[in-house]
Amino acid sequence: MISRSSIRHLTFKRCRYQPANRRGLAAAASGNFKFQTGEAAGIKIASRDLSGPTTTLALVAKAGTRYQTLPGVADGLEKFAYKNTQKRSSLRITRETELLGGEISAYHSRENIVLQAKFLRDDLPYFVELLAEVAGKTKFTGHEFHEEVIPVLTLHQRRLLTSTRDLAHDSAHKVAFHRGLGVPLYTTSPTPSARYLTEEAISTYSTVAYTKPNIAVVANGANLVELSKWTGEFFKDYPTSGEAKKLDSTTSKYFGGEERISHDSGNSMVIAFPGSSSFTTGNTYKPEIAILAALLGGQSSIKWSSGFSLLSKAIPGQLGVAVSTTHVSYSDAGLLCVALNGGANGIRAASAEVAKALESVAAGKVSKEDISKAVALAKFRALEAEQEITYRLELTGSGLIHGGNPFQMNEVAKSIESVSVEQVAKAAKDLLAGKAAVSAVGDLHVLPFAEEIGLKV
Amino acid sequence: MTPLANWYTDAAGYRKLGLRADDLIPEESETVELALKRLSPKEAYDRVFRLRRAFQCSLSHQLLPKEEQTKPEEDILYLTPIIKEIEAGKKEREDLESMVIKRRAA
Repeated sequence: MISRSSIRHLTFKRCRYQPANRRGLAAAASGNFKFQTGEAAGIKIASRDLSGPTTTLALVAKAGTRYQTLPGVADGLEKFAYKNTQKRSSLRITRETELLGGEISAYHSRENIVLQAKFLRDDLPYFVELLAEVAGKTKFTGHEFHEEVIPVLTLHQRRLLTSTRDLAHDSAHKVAFHRGLGVPLYTTSPTPSARYLTEEAISTYSTVAYTKPNIAVVANGANLVELSKWTGEFFKDYPTSGEAKKLDSTTSKYFGGEERISHDSGNSMVIAFPGSSSFTTGNTYKPEIAILAALLGGQSSIKWSSGFSLLSKAIPGQLGVAVSTTHVSYSDAGLLCVALNGGANGIRAASAEVAKALESVAAGKVSKEDISKAVALAKFRALEAEQEITYRLELTGSGLIHGGNPFQMNEVAKSIESVSVEQVAKAAKDLLAGKAAVSAVGDLHVLPFAEEIGLKV
Repeated sequence: MTPLANWYTDAAGYRKLGLRADDLIPEESETVELALKRLSPKEAYDRVFRLRRAFQCSLSHQLLPKEEQTKPEEDILYLTPIIKEIEAGKKEREDLESMVIKRRAA
């Protein structure tokens, strides 16, 4: 074993000999803190060695709701994280983590399940072993499923059923992508999932989800050499894809359409358009969509000001509608979502402005200054996302699994800067020409149809 | 010792009422209650059936006909492993709770 001190010494020396790699205090964010990648025991790993005292370690598995074989199993598998394993009980995991002052969590997105641990730098081996054990050796006992997993799932479902915002978001995805990315993040009603969701189903899914080519181990604030050593040691008995059935990963296709759900506790509307895939997986990446999202906007980034964005200018505050435009990108598709929440009448009035705003962009009626503001905001958002470690780790891991480049932000920023005004106008024109994905949740007597607000579905 | 043990278990008489050894474990403790909850639906159903049949036999002062009595190979421990698991969990919790942390000498 190479001793820790000698490794630290080595890296420190290297930094000193290459001053170009270091960032001065006043220098602009240049994305020098790149992830170094490698492979250990057939598993892709990435790490960046920041000199802080803590480490964030994540195991990213390409097994989110998009790939799930039965409804709800991805959610169930996530909820089974840190339960009894063949080597130790969940109580022991909790207590040991507490003793080390660590923090463990698990979450899933549409594409990934992420097991994450934050801890003091020296405890890396313990937590690599823990994640390896949790992903590979969980027992999936029936009583834990009934006593601990199911109650959490039901509570979550109940909360989701009252949130029109989340329902509208899920519904827009469903309309846009049908299966795959269209599968809701959480099962909304207990009835259909109870038929499929058993501890055996989850256990089977885990053997498909946690295979060597399907996971990546990503760390922030750890030495790549050490990470590779411990990953090699603890993950070596993981199955390679040979034995396990492969997950269905057909390329996402955008459909578009409309869905209206009647709901009593609030009103939400999501108007979505096909977006761009994430930067990490290459070919369908379109930076102009991110700029368009910033340009449509709706929420101001500056206090006491309505901001420059088209929707916040067009929709007066007294309507009582909260508008926000987000661009969610996945490995091979994306969705540009305009979300409207508030009173039904307000949403009706405000939703008409969305198509109008897009038309004005398409016709080139937007001032050059606004576009340059939008470029700056899009760039800032992308770079800010870089610093949010949780998001960054998931994106890096997902990029590695899909065989692309890890998430390198300075390149993203560069590609956003290089977009021209014409490209933005053309993107808006394409969106208007194609089909939108519109979902309205709430008082359907008042909420408009897509046709009424000038969108094709 | 085994032949003697076999004779003793048989003489205990519960098999003649169609019961299994684990049916005789007193239910009135938290551990056993939890263990009973963790039985699979089929096992729980069979257990209740055996108990009710045994009550009937006991009330009518009869033994089951020979072919319905529990055979030695059917007399398996279905509850004990679960109870042991729960007890191990409890013991681990107590151990962890009374743990004294010593800092390793650097």
